[in-house]
Amino acid sequence: MLKDILKMIKKERYISKSKIAKELNTTEDVIEQAFSQLYNMGYINIQNSKECSELKCRGCAYASLCNKKVPLNTIIITEKGEKILNS
Amino acid sequence: MNTIALVGNPNCGKTTLFNALTGSNQRVGNWPGVTVEKKEGSFKFKNQEYTVIDLPGTYSLGSFSEDEIVARNYIVNENPDVVINVVDATNIERNLYLTTQLLEMGAKVVVALNMIDEAEAKHIEIDIKKLSEKLGAPVIPTVASRKKGIENLISKAVELINKDVDYKAHISYGQNIDREIENIKKFLENKRLNYSPKWLAVKVLEGDKDILNMIKEKDEQTYNSLESIIKNDGFENRELEIVDKRYEFIHSITSAAVKKPKENVVTLTDKIDRIITHKYFGLPIFALIMYIVFQLTFAIGQDLLGGIIGTGLEILGEKIDSLLVSINAADWVISFVIDGIFGGVGTVVEFVPLILVLYTLMGLLEDSGYMARAAYVMDNLMRRLGLQGKSFISMIIGFGCNVPGVMSTRTLDSNKDRMIAILINPFMSCGARIPIYLVFISAFFPDKGGLVLFLLYALGIFVALVMAKIFSKTLFKGEASYFIMELPPYRIPTAENVLRNMWDNVSEFLKRAGTIIFAVVTILWILAMLPIGVEPYSQESILGQIGTVIAPIFKPAGYGTWQAAVGLFSGIAAKEAVVAILGMVYAGVEEGAELVKAIQSAFTPLSAVSFMVMTLLYTPCAATLGVIKKETNSYKWTLFSAVYSFAIAWILSVLTYQVGRLIGLS
Repeated sequence: MLKDILKMIKKERYISKSKIAKELNTTEDVIEQAFSQLYNMGYINIQNSKECSELKCRGCAYASLCNKKVPLNTIIITEKGEKILNS
Repeated sequence: MNTIALVGNPNCGKTTLFNALTGSNQRVGNWPGVTVEKKEGSFKFKNQEYTVIDLPGTYSLGSFSEDEIVARNYIVNENPDVVINVVDATNIERNLYLTTQLLEMGAKVVVALNMIDEAEAKHIEIDIKKLSEKLGAPVIPTVASRKKGIENLISKAVELINKDVDYKAHISYGQNIDREIENIKKFLENKRLNYSPKWLAVKVLEGDKDILNMIKEKDEQTYNSLESIIKNDGFENRELEIVDKRYEFIHSITSAAVKKPKENVVTLTDKIDRIITHKYFGLPIFALIMYIVFQLTFAIGQDLLGGIIGTGLEILGEKIDSLLVSINAADWVISFVIDGIFGGVGTVVEFVPLILVLYTLMGLLEDSGYMARAAYVMDNLMRRLGLQGKSFISMIIGFGCNVPGVMSTRTLDSNKDRMIAILINPFMSCGARIPIYLVFISAFFPDKGGLVLFLLYALGIFVALVMAKIFSKTLFKGEASYFIMELPPYRIPTAENVLRNMWDNVSEFLKRAGTIIFAVVTILWILAMLPIGVEPYSQESILGQIGTVIAPIFKPAGYGTWQAAVGLFSGIAAKEAVVAILGMVYAGVEEGAELVKAIQSAFTPLSAVSFMVMTLLYTPCAATLGVIKKETNSYKWTLFSAVYSFAIAWILSVLTYQVGRLIGLS
């Protein structure tokens, strides 16, 4: 299943966990868990736009002007992930 | 006393079950060395007392979080007599991952299939007997909240304590890994590591750092031998194969024992996304939505609310003027308060209703989940242009303010992508530039405000994309790295989130008007009054002389006056200052009482458009330049950013004016 998810990430233009769950005949919760596992094992990188990299909003003079409220998770397949897809 | 451990996923009803089992006989503390709460209790069954340990809620028994490690270490080190694994019957597939790991460990497991009533209500049919057979462990249905099935559960757990059983999940990880597990298991059998050798073998192959460190600490020689075995076995990505096989195992169980009603295959989110994120329609829809937002901003902000603050400030200004005259205040005090504060800062504050409406509408889009789609649509466009799509996140942030926009480029992995994203970010029209557009729109295009604002934002994006493409082909060549994004489901925006978003922006706008803009206005007011004896706000003042020196640069763009030049010059300190300074040098001084009327006398519609193009694209404000220096760690690139953006702005501004003139628009 994890390999299938990696393949779908590679193939698709955007990810919807409900779509993956449907295609893999499982639940969104399982897909959520699988994403955490892929991340923990270093196959993907997940970046949340709300976590402004190393920036700490507290104490940032521009925090209230920052458009960080756009709920955006981006996923990148790491080199390790690419390797398994190419194997 | 026999010990029973309770383990389960978060929110599976484990604590409810713990309370149902132990009643008031509970003690709360902390697990040693960590901040995870430890709950312990006891109960009596057939005159025998049992201790119950409530382990932290966890989805798996890996080594990625404190909760996982605490739960795993307790089961492995303390070896409870029986483990009750609480499984949420409504979410059985996810919960069984933990069950599988417990069985792998060789623990005596009883599965409490909790919330079975909710599963029934959702028409999920679970064949308990089959589930138990497939898992190789007893399964007892429970409803912990109503204390249903508790008696059966206790009875089965106690029965297991006294039985010598070997419950283990028979998971095959594939021929190669199974053989490897067997090899490592044999190797570990005589090493006295106090753990099940098979479980250790699986963990070693999963690359579990916690377990590997434990082996290293206890027996370095064994650790080295294991390292060598793994290094030379020729397998890669074992951990992924192992996790995948666990999921296969779970899927085989649920396929046989669980029947779920068919879900609606196409959700509403899917249906909307088919249109909103469409390959060809996505971008026009995004443009249309933004156009509507800007139109509504003017329709509500200007037509309905506009003038409220302006009129209020005018009345207040007149009253204060009369007061200052009546107390014989010095002329310079009256000039500073009326021309400086009311003419300068007041002009900026007049636009609060429009800002308020714009940010309320943007908040609605953000909270509904649409902005993530907008980002996706823009990413698509950038990919088609062969650009790194991820920089659009910093571009979106830049629409609020370029400072965090530039800072957020830290999320980009490659230096090339980062430099491009930093250099194009100032072309994103930040909130501080809005009052400038609003003044000129009110003066010349009051009926087409939304369209003009929309075109300005679109021009900013267009120039950013063109420059990104040029940079990627010239200054920063390299491979573009791609990523994929997750689109959250749509939701109805909440009033709280939308209003908070609006207030954040409006309060910051007012705060800046009262601090930075006030400071800039004060400095420029002094320059407008000096040297002593000169006519205030005249061309002979220091401010006028500075403007006169700069003004010829802007003549080909249609606004070669010293006032316009000074306005643009002040915008390098802070963009809002442009309006404040125009308010100071035009309104109430020569052309008329209101800035809008003054602007109508000093500009033509064509030169107004040319001026707006200039303010959209020219040199970023001082704060943005400061952060560009910090992020690039280079004065060279900071200077480059200041100069090249000015050059592009000037070229496009001149082009706008000259082409406009050629086709007879002036």
